[in-house]
Amino acid sequence: MRYAFLVAWREYSESAKTRGFWIGLFMVPAMILISIQVQLWLAKSGTPTRHFFLVDQSQRLEPAIDSALDKNRQRQLLAALVDYTRKNLLHQDALSTLVSSAPLAQLDPGSVELLETFIGKGGRDFFLKQVKPYLRPDAPPFVEPRPAFERVKLPPEIKTDKSIGELAADLKPYLRGDRRLEAGNNLVEIDAAILIPKDVENLIVRPGGGGPVFGTNGIQYWSANLTDAGTGLRDEVEKAVSGEIRQREFLRRGLDSAAVRDVERSFVPILSLNPKKEAGQEAVNTTDIVKQYAPIGFVYLLWISIFSIMQMLLNNIIEEKSSRIIEVLLSSVTPGELMIGKLCGIAAIGLTMVGAWIVTTFVILGWQSGNSSELAGQVLAILKTTRLVPVFSVYFILGYLLYAGLILSLGSVCNTLKEAQSYMAVLNMVMMVPLLTMMFIPRHPNGPLARVLSWIPIYTPFTMMNRANADPPMVDVVGTMILLVICTAGTLWMAGKIFRIGILRSGQPPKIVEMLRWLKG
Amino acid sequence: MSDRPNNDGAVLEFRNVTKYYGEFKAVDDVSFSLTPGSVCGFLGPNGAGKTTSIRMTLEIIRPTSGTITVLGRPSALEVRRRIGYLPEEKGLYKKMKAWAIIAYFATLKGMTRKAAKQRAYELLERYGLKDFSDKPTDALSKGMGQKVQVLASIAHDPEFVILDEPFSGLDPVNQQVMEDIIRDMTSRNRTVLFSTHVMQHAERLCNRIIVIARGRKIFDGLIADAKRMLPRRVRIETNDDVSPLRQLSEVVSMARIESPGMPQWELQIRDNVDAQGILEICFDRRIRLHSFNQAEPSLHDVFMQLVGSDAKEARFR
Repeated sequence: MRYAFLVAWREYSESAKTRGFWIGLFMVPAMILISIQVQLWLAKSGTPTRHFFLVDQSQRLEPAIDSALDKNRQRQLLAALVDYTRKNLLHQDALSTLVSSAPLAQLDPGSVELLETFIGKGGRDFFLKQVKPYLRPDAPPFVEPRPAFERVKLPPEIKTDKSIGELAADLKPYLRGDRRLEAGNNLVEIDAAILIPKDVENLIVRPGGGGPVFGTNGIQYWSANLTDAGTGLRDEVEKAVSGEIRQREFLRRGLDSAAVRDVERSFVPILSLNPKKEAGQEAVNTTDIVKQYAPIGFVYLLWISIFSIMQMLLNNIIEEKSSRIIEVLLSSVTPGELMIGKLCGIAAIGLTMVGAWIVTTFVILGWQSGNSSELAGQVLAILKTTRLVPVFSVYFILGYLLYAGLILSLGSVCNTLKEAQSYMAVLNMVMMVPLLTMMFIPRHPNGPLARVLSWIPIYTPFTMMNRANADPPMVDVVGTMILLVICTAGTLWMAGKIFRIGILRSGQPPKIVEMLRWLKG
Repeated sequence: MSDRPNNDGAVLEFRNVTKYYGEFKAVDDVSFSLTPGSVCGFLGPNGAGKTTSIRMTLEIIRPTSGTITVLGRPSALEVRRRIGYLPEEKGLYKKMKAWAIIAYFATLKGMTRKAAKQRAYELLERYGLKDFSDKPTDALSKGMGQKVQVLASIAHDPEFVILDEPFSGLDPVNQQVMEDIIRDMTSRNRTVLFSTHVMQHAERLCNRIIVIARGRKIFDGLIADAKRMLPRRVRIETNDDVSPLRQLSEVVSMARIESPGMPQWELQIRDNVDAQGILEICFDRRIRLHSFNQAEPSLHDVFMQLVGSDAKEARFR
């Protein structure tokens, strides 16, 4: 065993000296840190302000749109203020005192009441005055987020009394970015133009017919930026215009619009509950959602680590084989000792790498969650409360041994890396499956795809890792584990036989039939 | 490392060893034994079965039939610490430092890590590679790399060293170094078995040779005995007519040797004839000799005689 240890130690210390090892060691933590930072940065810098033109030839919808956008702005401000308050609270208890104090009701930016109180009482200054006593004395001053949308006055040379078509033609240079416009102190690009025709009343589409054929005529929204179409300004405008039109419809039909609005705001909340959670805590929250998807990270980690150490192992065997060092080794150690030494040495490299990844992930998440990343906090909590890390360790070791067995057999019968690569291509393709399915499995963690893949030993580690947080049935957990262990042991036994003979062979790789004969021998 | 004297007779003994690779008989019923302290040349053309025999000795592969005893044990692995091995095809870990490779192989032979490291530096210094001790081996020349590998195979000071083609790829200076290493070992009563194609080395170093061809042992004995198998030869240099010599009953055959300058002739003479007699006959016949040599057959001649036909048709395995 001493000799196997010596072999393992050499493998470990030599690999640890390579540049690839250190790059690998720092790659994952760096990726996590960067992705968190990018997220934070995006949240902080927000989407840039969209500048737009609004021309309302009908002169009936403009105020509604303006006020809707203003309300949107107030909502954005409120959300930022609530966030600011939560982050700068004197202490956690201050929150409950603050929340119980009358005007702010709940500190929920989604609450309609809070928004109305907020706008009604004077917005930002009112809010800041209210929360001031509950904030830390050293709290930084509140910084207003940039407005999402900003209406820009038309340049003086544009005449608004032309037909919509001509108007659009006049505005195109601005919309295409060929011309810029001064707004405030900056030259800005115009992102969109909303053109409302004079006869907008005739364009209303009503149930039961009437109005133009849908999609042929209406308010025109011009923008070169298509990605904006679904999320931003267009939706706001559409909501505002429809609201205004409906308001008028209510009036026309003699309905009480205030009553209708109240009716529209009535709802019964639906609670998501999970029967598998403890009684009294069945409510599903965002942490549960994150929890269901958290294993994906581990599947990826598992895949990356197994994949990269497979390459290492293959290179290593081929080096010894092609340079014939193997012969000297085999005059000093038995093939069994050599194989065990190799397996352990390379496994130790993999474990060091993965261990470093996990530790640094904890450190980074801990640091970032203290540093305002909510997701980091949630992930950290999940890692601490679930069995993901131990489950990962078990599947890493078994998965590694299984794949290592295959690589040892492959490496020992090939003479050059080039020769081995053509066989590796097949293995790589087989290994792509868990990567392709890892995003789907959490949606149906106990569905047929997940279950079938779990019972295929080469996929068991990845798939079961993928399902780890979804309480897979016991028969799957135990059954696949037994199958995996048997299969791994079998592969290693086979590798031992093939390794012993293959490693000294030169010339063409053997045929399958010949290898089967080795297994019998 | 073991300095204890070996009292149990042969260092290596092959008894009716046969090895098949599939249908191919690589080694065919070979038997021999090596006494302690001897230097034995293992000769034979390509594909004769030398490397297979060596691998079986080290138990890297097992014989199909027959027994091999190494240092009195049936398994080389039991005594692996007392054996050193330099394989035919040489290679080193490219990124490892020279000293680290020597030390690694020495630890695999049972030395402690500390002792192995010290020994590695010592050997590198002794054989002129001090400045390269801390260099990765891919920064070394081929010859230096090979030297490192030789040192790695003897770092643990083995009792029995097996060197497969130790001279191939070395320049004359390093060939001399290799010879010195072997002589140094034999002077300390180590047993050396080495295979080679270059007969001069065997001739200078060995007291005994084993020749195999096509898997079969065809000669086993002292070099002098091997040479005695060839007819004795006399070489003369003269401008005169030598045809009268051809008629003599003492002369088996005579052939002109291609050489620049004065014509040279080689005469094979009968075993019972004194070479001095030939000289006297030349005087009698008024053949004026420019030179007269009692040419002892070289090992090369012996080798060609023994395996010449085999070597020509030797096939690649």
